[in-house]
Amino acid sequence: MGAVDVALSHVSKKYCKSLRRSMRYGIRDICRNTCGMSSHSDVLRKEEFWALKDVSFEAKQGEALGLIGANGSGKSTVLKLINGIFWPDTGKVAVRGKVGALIEVGAGFHPMLTGRENVYLNGAVLGMTRQEVKEKFDDIVEFAEIGDFLDTPVKYYSSGMFVKLGFAVAAHCDPDVLLVDEVLAVGDLAFRRKCYKRLKELRDENVTWIIVSHDVGTIQSNTDRVVLFDRGEMAYVGSPEDAISKYLYSLSQKKITAGGAVEHAAPPHGPAHQPEDFEVDRVVLLDKNLRERDVFATGEPLAMRIEFTAKQKIEDPMFVVSFFNGDNELCSESVSKFDGVRIDKLEGRGSVTFKTASLPLYSGIYRLQLIVRDVSFVPVALEPYAAFIKVQGGKHDTAAKFYMQHSWDVGLAEEINRQAL
Amino acid sequence: MTEADFTIYEPDNSLKKGYASLFGEIFSEINKNRWLIYQLFKKDFVALYKQSFIGFLWAIVLPLVSVGTFIVLKGAGVFNVGSISVPYPVYAILGMAIWGLFATGIVATSNALVNAGPMITKINFSKKSLVIASMGQGLLAFVVQLGLVFVLLLYYHTVPSVDILLIPLLIVPVLVFTLGLGFLMSLLNGVVRDIANMLAVVVTFLMFLTPILYAKPSTGALATLSGYNIMYYLVAVPRDMILYGTSDYLNGFFLSSVVAFIFFILFLAVFHLTETRVAERI
Repeated sequence: MGAVDVALSHVSKKYCKSLRRSMRYGIRDICRNTCGMSSHSDVLRKEEFWALKDVSFEAKQGEALGLIGANGSGKSTVLKLINGIFWPDTGKVAVRGKVGALIEVGAGFHPMLTGRENVYLNGAVLGMTRQEVKEKFDDIVEFAEIGDFLDTPVKYYSSGMFVKLGFAVAAHCDPDVLLVDEVLAVGDLAFRRKCYKRLKELRDENVTWIIVSHDVGTIQSNTDRVVLFDRGEMAYVGSPEDAISKYLYSLSQKKITAGGAVEHAAPPHGPAHQPEDFEVDRVVLLDKNLRERDVFATGEPLAMRIEFTAKQKIEDPMFVVSFFNGDNELCSESVSKFDGVRIDKLEGRGSVTFKTASLPLYSGIYRLQLIVRDVSFVPVALEPYAAFIKVQGGKHDTAAKFYMQHSWDVGLAEEINRQAL
Repeated sequence: MTEADFTIYEPDNSLKKGYASLFGEIFSEINKNRWLIYQLFKKDFVALYKQSFIGFLWAIVLPLVSVGTFIVLKGAGVFNVGSISVPYPVYAILGMAIWGLFATGIVATSNALVNAGPMITKINFSKKSLVIASMGQGLLAFVVQLGLVFVLLLYYHTVPSVDILLIPLLIVPVLVFTLGLGFLMSLLNGVVRDIANMLAVVVTFLMFLTPILYAKPSTGALATLSGYNIMYYLVAVPRDMILYGTSDYLNGFFLSSVVAFIFFILFLAVFHLTETRVAERI
């Protein structure tokens, strides 16, 4: 990791709420820019608002930077500015090298053109040369798994095929800086895995990533550093853990307020806890007979006992237990506070046990992550590798992701008739 | 590493860089995107004609219908096309073909940015290429219509002048004028959608106002008006050169060509300066 690849300094961007005014302003800006006059873009005109205000951050070469925030917080606008689609209204955006964007893949496809023709068209639009597309054509087609449909107009493609081909082209354009906007939730599971693998390959080639998402799992497992946005302003820059905790805190606060229930006290700036205040001594996995085990069967009960020592009193904490699968995808996340469990305080030695009556996972190795947060969501304990379990699906071998706790009722014909009556 | 490695985006970018670098930037952008322009042109072409039986032969339907209407009107004595020394269909179809470069071109270019709207707001690519590529449809229609002209020349045993070999050169001014105006119109249409609708009406109206399907009258308001009509010179003089090898309006043609080039340079610069500002209003 070395030189700076992307730098934003004091960048702001405004939008206009009214279409009619937007037209008028547009004409005026064209005239002013043409005549060599400044368009005074740093001043708000009537019905304009700042979608982004005074944003400054840098991304170094090879770094994976996450942008997180609620809808409308300005993170997608940041991507458009880095991509050069829009100009900032104040400040400066500097980008080094070729920028690739995975933003709504397949945006440049034409329905009447065949898959082959669209690969060439889309490649050209994404800034590839004829030679580059030719060289990578086979890789692209193989990656997209479209097989015999290569010479079929893409309007006859299934939506999955369409997206796969779009991703395949975009993923092969050799960028120095790659912008990713919520596109990873496409295609079937197998293809999604392949996408992640391809993105990891790009990272190994020292490509700088900027990922936008409001999915905490994506951000947590893919980024080195995170910028948190709140209503167009930068609320925080720092480690993914801290940024996510601040994000979750702001969300939970909004939800509680919206529900008309208890309003949080002003963001508690209570006694800040040090990492050494709290220590996880041991994490034990237990089966239904309270025996220690790390191999479980699908549907079996599981308990995870967390033994700890709190050197300082920690009031109203929450425990967060997350399961990650072998691809590092977040499968399950449980938060004690959101489950309505209030833990008054942690003091001295103690234990908290997370229990499930039926393990909802199929065969594979899973990683359990434990985070303990204090009342202001600041993590006091962070154990990404709290435990590992191996799940054996037994006879049942399936591609399904989750096992649902369930039962079957087998009824006889008379019973159905009786029920109908 | 120096500043030069970075692409910088900031407000009033070109004001800071100065106008001097403008045309260098434009030239290198177009040069770099030649393949993109071809791909975009191919897309337009395929999209227009792929799901169609007679395909690009549709390009000759419109001029045939227009000219046919005039032949009927002329035959019925309703309309006087003036004195023309070559068979009327040859004269009219050739005129329509050259006029079509402007008519098709201006409508296509003015819609170029808006039609690609979803793409423009998601991918950063050369928007000039979109406008240039949209000229392709008109050019292709011209080639097809020229084929029709050759058929008519053979049918009527009419011998054109050797200047027919200069066609590629003769149509340069009208192309330059259309593309230049197209750059401006595509921008304006990006902001205010009335432009494309308005142009469609204006082009039809202009076609009847410009002496293309009839000879220029020697007196009257229309004669005066045609004297100032840049499109008249850009269409009529190439036609005269092809059919007769000479024209009475060569001076007008050269003057119009100069104006066309000035418009082109000016509007291309305007486009370059404001394309990104317009992109966010599309």
